[in-house]
Amino acid sequence: MSGKWNMLQSQSFLECNGRQRAFGLLDEGTLTELAGPRDRLSSPHLPVLGEAIQFDDGIVTGVGLIGKKPVFIASQEGRFVGGAVGEVSGAKIVNVVRLAREAFDRMVSARADLPEEKRPAVVISFDTGGVRLHEANAGLLAHSELMDQFQDCKGKVPIVSLIGGRVGCFGGMGFVAAAADVVIMSQNGRLGLTGPEVIEEEMGKDEFDASDRALVYRTTGGKHRYIMGDCNLLVADSIKAFRTALIEVLALPYGRMDGFRRIGSLEKVRYQLKLVDLCVKLAPKDSRDVWKYAGNENPTAVTDMSLETFLSTVRRLQVE
Amino acid sequence: MRKKLNRLDFEFKADEAKDFPADFVHYGVVGSGDMEIIIEKKPLDGAIRVTVLTPVSGFDEVWRRVLYRFVKETHIGNASIEINDCNATPVVGSLRLRQALAEIS
Repeated sequence: MSGKWNMLQSQSFLECNGRQRAFGLLDEGTLTELAGPRDRLSSPHLPVLGEAIQFDDGIVTGVGLIGKKPVFIASQEGRFVGGAVGEVSGAKIVNVVRLAREAFDRMVSARADLPEEKRPAVVISFDTGGVRLHEANAGLLAHSELMDQFQDCKGKVPIVSLIGGRVGCFGGMGFVAAAADVVIMSQNGRLGLTGPEVIEEEMGKDEFDASDRALVYRTTGGKHRYIMGDCNLLVADSIKAFRTALIEVLALPYGRMDGFRRIGSLEKVRYQLKLVDLCVKLAPKDSRDVWKYAGNENPTAVTDMSLETFLSTVRRLQVE
Repeated sequence: MRKKLNRLDFEFKADEAKDFPADFVHYGVVGSGDMEIIIEKKPLDGAIRVTVLTPVSGFDEVWRRVLYRFVKETHIGNASIEINDCNATPVVGSLRLRQALAEIS
């Protein structure tokens, strides 16, 4: 087993499946899957529609350790129905967050001075297009339940979003990921609300050409999200890089989480409104216009920069 | 015609079958053109019982051949195999079955 875990570390986060990601992100051999394939909790809706099912309904949920910290993890499988959230997969992700908060409550009521390094955390690896349309009502409900769980975790359990899968993170799950305390992405990760194809479908190719990969990445990709402040940390595309960033973030005291958040206080909302205001004034035609406004003199060069050069030279958007 | 998920059931017995060496193994992802497999130890008098769930119709005989060959060549016995398929080709099917077996060794 040890060989397998070590080999995973250098592998591309993008190329790995949901289970490999969950297994490799946590300390070696510590992941216990909850409601795993053996429990055969698959979708009751897909067979009726003649669609293939998966034993874990496309999400790996479980608990393991990073150092002394119990980490509750959910890792979506983007290759199964585009990682879309259905009734069962939705319930699994909601309940893993609930379990983390309940563990926190129990641990802290048993011992009020429990050191931070032993307090639970939640990690969610997103690889999803949002709601699974075959079971859309249940999927939407799961989104709102998950938001409720996030709210209940506030002040207790830190929640970290990871985005580096092939599908990215779109639809309602884009909201959910952004509502976490910390967002970690790779350049290959994409975060957005309405996916590129949907925009093109609704508004036409003139508005958004979904087949233009460069356009898609500079509008939703990790680099853009980092400049905009939607993503807190940008890392290389490997299990190890994501794991290293995760270890750093989880080692911080909980009080520091507020510095990462995008929402959650009046001040934050005011800042978001300033961004909207800027958008109206600037009327950008392309994300490069915003990059330039943020202080990147040569925005065209940003796209091809190596991660190191990008991180050391890029100017992130700041609104007064 | 109403589309439905097909369930195929097979049972095979290899010559000189050896007991499946693990309690449980899971392998694969139900991506497009791919499949996942669970192999679980079961007392079946040396036989292998297979269940395939697939959206594809009309390839029962191809499945039977792929699975029979796998059982015959690997000499496994006393286990159940469950497959969730999403339009995997026979080549992918054979490969995934062997990869599932390699997970335990």
